This record gives sequence, structure tokens and C-alpha cells, in this order.
Amino acid sequence: LNRRDALCSITRGAVACGVAAYGALTTFAPRALGFGQDGAFHPRVLQNAGRPLDGAYAGGLSRWSWELIRRTSAPARLTVGSVAADSTELLAEPFTVWFGAEAVAPLSDPEVRGLRTYLNLGGVLFVDDSAPEVGSFGRSVRQELQRVLPESPIVPVPDQHVLYKSYYLLDSPVGRVEGPSQLEAISSGKMLRVLLSSHDLVGAMAQQRGGGWTFPVEPRQRERAMRLAVNLAMYVLCLDYKDDQVHAEELMRRRGRVRR
Amino acid sequence: MTTKTWAITDDVAGWVVVVAAILLLAAIVLLVHELSSRRQKSWLIFASGLLAAACVALAAVRPVVVEAQANLVGPRVVVLADQSRRMKLPYESTTRLDRAGEALRRVVDHFANARSSVMGFSEGPLEPLSLGPDAKLASRGSRSDLSAAIRELASAAGERPRAVVVVSDGRFSRPLGDLEDPALREAVGALGVPVHTVSVADETPNDSSIRGVRAAGVAVAHQPLAVTVEVGCAGELDCARIPVRIRELRDGVAPAELATGVAEIKDGVGTVELEITLDRAGGRVLEISLEAPSGDQIPENDTRHMTFVVARDRIRLLHLAGRPTYDVRALRRWLKSDESVDVVAFFILRDSDGDEPGAPSFELALIHFPVDELFTEHLRSFDAVILQDIDAVRYRLTGYLARLAAYVELGGGLIMVGGPSSFAGGNYAGTPLDSILPVEQPQDDKPFDSKAFVPRYTEAGRAAEVTRPIRELLGEQLPEMVGTNFLGQARPGAIVLWEHPELQAAGKNMPVLALGEAGDGRTIALSVDSTHRLAFSPMAATVAGRAYGALWDGLLGWLMRDPRYEAARVEVVGECIEGETDTTLRVTRLPGMRGALELSLAPLTQAASEPIVRLIPGDSVEPVEIRVPGLKAGGYTAKARIGEAPPSRHDFACERGGVAWADSRPDRPRLDAIARVTGGTSVGLDGIDELPMPDATRVAAQREVAPVAPPWVWTLAAAVLLGVHWVARRNSGLL
Repeated sequence: LNRRDALCSITRGAVACGVAAYGALTTFAPRALGFGQDGAFHPRVLQNAGRPLDGAYAGGLSRWSWELIRRTSAPARLTVGSVAADSTELLAEPFTVWFGAEAVAPLSDPEVRGLRTYLNLGGVLFVDDSAPEVGSFGRSVRQELQRVLPESPIVPVPDQHVLYKSYYLLDSPVGRVEGPSQLEAISSGKMLRVLLSSHDLVGAMAQQRGGGWTFPVEPRQRERAMRLAVNLAMYVLCLDYKDDQVHAEELMRRRGRVRR
Repeated sequence: MTTKTWAITDDVAGWVVVVAAILLLAAIVLLVHELSSRRQKSWLIFASGLLAAACVALAAVRPVVVEAQANLVGPRVVVLADQSRRMKLPYESTTRLDRAGEALRRVVDHFANARSSVMGFSEGPLEPLSLGPDAKLASRGSRSDLSAAIRELASAAGERPRAVVVVSDGRFSRPLGDLEDPALREAVGALGVPVHTVSVADETPNDSSIRGVRAAGVAVAHQPLAVTVEVGCAGELDCARIPVRIRELRDGVAPAELATGVAEIKDGVGTVELEITLDRAGGRVLEISLEAPSGDQIPENDTRHMTFVVARDRIRLLHLAGRPTYDVRALRRWLKSDESVDVVAFFILRDSDGDEPGAPSFELALIHFPVDELFTEHLRSFDAVILQDIDAVRYRLTGYLARLAAYVELGGGLIMVGGPSSFAGGNYAGTPLDSILPVEQPQDDKPFDSKAFVPRYTEAGRAAEVTRPIRELLGEQLPEMVGTNFLGQARPGAIVLWEHPELQAAGKNMPVLALGEAGDGRTIALSVDSTHRLAFSPMAATVAGRAYGALWDGLLGWLMRDPRYEAARVEVVGECIEGETDTTLRVTRLPGMRGALELSLAPLTQAASEPIVRLIPGDSVEPVEIRVPGLKAGGYTAKARIGEAPPSRHDFACERGGVAWADSRPDRPRLDAIARVTGGTSVGLDGIDELPMPDATRVAAQREVAPVAPPWVWTLAAAVLLGVHWVARRNSGLL
């Protein structure tokens, strides 16, 4: 399935996209991929202590892939999978999303080791708090991350980070909620290993079975959330590509215009 | 001739003589002291004491008379003939070497009464020469080191020569021509005998030549290098301004014009500094030539061919990807992690025909893909180009593929990485780029296969150094690849490292990873887009993701001719000079490389030519030396293939005359100076009869030794004189 074919099929069934995604939400299992799909962007959900996944949020992940295909040349997989932290399948792909609204159960030792291996190998973990107003998920995940990477502090992502210019020129993060003005991260050098959001980014993209949005969000804010999601996907796929010198001058000029 | 001399008998030890002398001296001192201290002198006591002491000493050492008979023989004369390649320069209707041969015969005739040894010097040890009536003097070596030759004579055991005769044109490598007399004497006066010189060439030929080529520092790829060319013009040529040019000789394509300039000649010599930029690392063959004025008698030294070893400080890569994927991510992550790689990347993030970003361009962090600028202005500055899943038609590469192919043939590297828009799927089949890839591209409706498979190593893949790093980590295990581009069979000379276990191409398993050479450059075809699984997968985790770097380190290293990934090392032993002895190539295989050695040698020319091929069976680990006769001046590329491994390449230059012919002027003043500082005589070919004959050498033939008196006489005399001395002392009341 190439990108163009995928876009057409999605266009035909756009309304049912969320439903399809929800139906596709299963525990991760290897699937037959077409040539060119092996390296496609694919947001997988990190299972935590076997808790059931919220179907509406899973639809948000599918929408994320769909928006990436629609807006960019990047290939993406629309099916959403989930993967356990202590599973070797966690090491199959370099991007995983960990979201939730409640405090997570403490990770078992195999889960801690699995996540540590994943991150040390170069995987990116996106932690998205679905209920930042409460904050219990974020707090509990931070505690668990300290066990996974005890020597690595969680620090704010600076405004100049390539994440904010990997596709769109963005000033600040936003999701279903406005949230804080900065994302946070655990980095290794310039590379983000764990990115933490208190904005419910997936929630801004979540859809109901009928195709409507799960949560009411002001359209402009939802578009900004979509752009951040696209940028995050592009960062996962291209890393610091937009920090290259060949882009620097032009992007600085454009950023100045956007801010004016 | 008879001579008589006195000596001490042979059977007395040296220490006895010393003791006797000390005792005699002590007796004399005591006697003198006694004589001077007494008021009434007793000369009898003094005289008898002195004689008694002397007789005791003589009784101890027993003097003898040596009568020797000696013969006079002719003096030893060493004749040194300059055998350097420079002596092959033409002189009138013959060569300087022929004239030197003639001079040698005359010198030997002139010193007919002497014991003459004729030796040749150049570089390395002296070589004895035999002078038959029809014997021709041969040349050897590019240098003519007279200082070393004389030092070798001085340090040799046996009889020293009484004179040395040097036959040369005087243009020695050592001693240099501008030495002061004391320094010159030290350089050639080690023997302490006269050094006579015979000049075989006095007339300066009408010749313009490249005297020397010097580079300011080390040649580094992509960095300008200042090359100073010294041009000489001698004789009666009209040469105020001489054009000079530098070209790089390349395989299969026309030479690259690197620089041109004009040398302003003043007092017969001029220099021009030319700035050149060599883009490819490794041994590069440069042709430095001048445009000689009319009347140039020695055109052979108007052109020099030299091998420049070009280092690389960083590898400059152009990475083009048609869409961002995890495979692009893995490659970029690895490239950016290597400090020695300078990567310029362009990824197509948005297809303007279909993608809908929903934002004006100024809100997007996208820039125009500068395809024209990249492929017209900057392409030459890159060491290699990586095309990863980028459609040639959609992204307007088609018009630049011929240029890209030419770039590779001029020494650039190219890697095409698989993906739906790679190879035939990216519209590369039938394009100029197609012909330089190591595999053919079937022009089929279906450009790729989606079935997952695990590639397997070929025999060559198991033998190649390029895959050694990854094999050391994973053995022959490879991760599953999701689909592949359809590739055709490998082109002649290409090496397949991985193959598909099921798909076929021309009756063989389809290549998955193949290496090839195109002109001066190298190319790699990789038909899959899942090598990122070597960086990130459960299998990758077993080796901490290092397998990906190991694979790409090998591929990029091979592409850049990193010696670590070559199967063998090829080098030229000594020099390669047209018309001289055979050129010797030494091939040293890397440890573990098995199989027969095949060496092919071809000139670096645009036109294809039949290579010289040598096959050495067996797989001995010892270096193999292969002699190749009859190489003409120019550049050559030698490719050594060990068993099934990819060939290793070494480019080298062959010269006509080389540095030995760079300065054709004879140097008679230097010959005169050498003769002057050593007390010798300097003559021309016609003045050999004026060379002075050294004194004859005296050789002892018979020696007779007879005692001056029998030992008992000395003993008796000593006893009597001691008795007289005792009586005299008693009469004087001293006892």
C-alpha cells in the first residue's frame, strides 16, 4: 500500500476513520506490510499493567497518522497497535505513545528493563497526559521514568528546539488544553528520548465512532494541536534534520515573519 | 729493493720492554743526581754505571737487525662511472652513457700500469663493472650519489686506492652544486686521495624541462593545494614565458584540467604556483606538462607523471530522501553520529502535488529542494551521494542523472537505497544512472515485491572485508526485510554480497546488496528499505544496535576506498620508469583473505583498453610480487582481487626519465671543484691522457731478522760493567 493509495482509501472512508482505528486496536502483533510500509510512522500505545485502552483515544492516534499522510510526504500506518513494556515487540519500532488519565501502576522490573533498553536503543517515548487538569497520570509516569532512567532529569524543551520547526513553524505546544507553554523531555545530547506533554495532544485528535470529535476544542486550537502532532511525527522520522545549516537562514527569516 | 731496520726481538713481551726502559731511566736519574751532588766528581762511577744499566736493558730486549726486500707494483686506482638514469640523456648523436663507456675504456687504458677497479655508482651500493670490448654501460637508479660512493670506498676493507677517477656529466644528486670548498672536501674527501674527474658532456642541450614539482603541505580532498612547478630552460632556446598545466588522469574518462599557468623564465629558470583541488582521496595521478618552445631537443622531460596521495579530513555526503521513514531516520542518525562525516541532507517532506499542509508557506518550515543548484554547482564537492527512495521524475532529478553518472565515473561514490521510489520504481531504469549501478534494472510493471524475506550472504559476501564488521557482530544472521525492489543480474565486475533466497534474476538469486565500480568511482545498490532493523529491533538489541553502524561503516568505507575494507594492498616496488626494468607490483592480502589472486592492470585513459591480467593461484599469506614489463609513461590503475572478494585498487604513475631527466644540463664546474678540493685533475673526454699516474705501491717480498749480538754477549757485558762500577764505587768509598 503506497502513500497515495492510502490517502485515497482514507478519503473514501474518512468518516469511518475513527471507527476503523478503534476496531484495529489490538495488542501489537506483526502484520503483513507492503514494501515501503516498514519504515512508516506508526504510533503504538504502551500498555500499562494490562489496563484496557480507551478506544476514543486510540482513534486519535489513527487520526494522527492520517493527518501526517494528508499533510506531508511521510508514510504512516493507520492501524493502531499496543505493546507491552516488557515485550520484545517494543523493540520493533522506534516510537511509542504512553497516555492515560489516571495514575499508572508501578512498572514491574521487566517493564523497567524493557523500557530502558528501548530508550537506550534510540526509541522515542511520547508521554501524553489525557487529564492534565488532574495531573495524577503525569506525576506517576514521572516517578516511573525516574526508575527507568534514574540519571536523566526531566527538563523543559526550549522554544528553539527543532521539534517546533520540523514541519510547521510553531511557537508553543498545545493540545486539547492550552497547558503549559513548554513541553518537557528527557534528552540524550540533542536527541529527545522521552517527550512529556501536559496538553492531552492525543485527545485533541480523538474521534468518535461516527467520525465526530470526541472532545470539543476550539478549531484553531485543534489545528495547532494537529500541527504539533505532525511536527512530533516528523521529528521522530527526521530527527534534527531541520537544524541543518541549509535550512537555518530561511527558517529564521520565516519565524520572524510569523512572530510579527 | 732492500732496506735495513733495527728492532727488538719478537719474543720479548711489550711489558718487559716497558719495565726495562723504566729501570734504565731510573738508573740514569740516580747516577746524574749522585754526580751533581758530590763535590768531587767521579766520572768513572757515572760512566760505568750508565754503561752497566744500558747493557742490562739491552740484555733484556736483545736488539735485532731486520733486512727487508720489497717490490713496487702499480698503484690501485678506482674508476667510478655514473650510472644514473640521467646518463641516458642524448648527447649529440649518442648518449652520455655511451660516452661514459668510452671514457671508461680510455681511463683503463691510460692507467694500464695501475691496478684499476671499475665500479658503477648511482643509488645504493657500488656495483663492479666489466668492460668488455662490446659491453654497453647500463643505467640504474634515478639518483647519482657520489658522496655515498666515496664513503663506501673509504669504509671498505683492504688496500685503499691511490686515486679515484669519476666519470660523469657532473649533475650529481650529492654533493650538491653550491657547496663551499670545505663542505665539498668533506663530502668527497673521505679517502684522502686525489679524485680526478672526467666530464662526458660539456655542452648544454637546448632543453626546457620541468625541474621540480613541490606541494605546500599534504593534499587533502576538496581543499585547495598550492603546487609550485619549477621550469628550466637551457641552451639557446627562446623561452621567456612557458605555459604549464596540471591534469588529473582518470579511468575511463577524459583527464580533468586542474590548473594552468605561465612560468616567467629568468636566468634559465622560472616557477609558477598553481592551485589545484583534488576531490577524491587516495592515490591520484597528475600529469604536469609544459608547452615547450620550438627547438627543444629533449621533449621527454616536458611532462611529468606523479602520484599524489590525497588524504581526507572528512567525508562529505549528499543524502537525498524522497520521504521520511524510519529507514531514513536510522541512516541520518548514524551519519550524524560520525564526526568524520559531513552530511548535507535534503528530505522531501511535502509533495506539492498532493499534500495539504493547510498552512501558508511562511508558516511551514519547508524550503525549496535546490535540485539544480545541487547537481550543477555543488555536486563535485561531495565524496558520495546517497539516493534513498526518491523518485527521479517527480522530483526532477531526471535531467541531472547524466551529470550524476559522470560524477561517479570521475571518482564520486553513489549508494542507491531501496524503497518504492528507488531503482525502476523511481524511474531510474534506462537512465544514464542505470548503466553505472552494479546491477541491472528490469523495466517491469511491478518494480518491487512486498513479501518479507531474510537476505543471505553470498560467497563473496562471506569473504568481503566490507561485511566483516557486521558478520563479527551477528554472524550470518540478518533481520527480516519487508519487501525489495526487483533488481536484475549483477553487471560484469560487480560483487553481490547479499542475495534474495527465492527471487531470481537471469537464473541466479536476485542481488540484494551489490558493489560495483564505474570509471574512477564506486557504486552500491541496496534493494531493501529495512536495514534500519539492524539499528532498532529485537535482533539489533542483542548487539546494542551496533550492527547498523557496522554495515554502513563498511559500505561507506568501501565506497571511500578506506584501506580497512579492501581485500588486499597493492603497491609499486621502487619506481615505474618507461624503458627501464620491469615494474614490480607487490600485493599483500589482508589476514584471512583466501583464494587466488587476480591482478589486472590498465592505463588511466579515456578509451577502454585490454588490461594486463596476471593470475596467481593459491592463497599464500606472503606478499606476492608481480613483474610487469613494458609500461609506458602515464597513469595506471591496478586492481587486485582475492578470491571472491571485491577488488582493491591502486593508481600509480609511470614516468619517462622521471626526476633523473628533470635537469639535463651537465655540470662541468662541479666536476672541476671536486677535483680541485681533493688535489685531483678535471679533464674532458679528450684529456684523459693528462690524468696523473699515482706513485707505485711498495709490496714487501722477503724479510730477514738477525740479532745484533748473541744474548750471552749482552749478559756478559752487563756483568763486567757492573763489576767495574762496583770496584769504582768501592775505591771512592761509596760502599
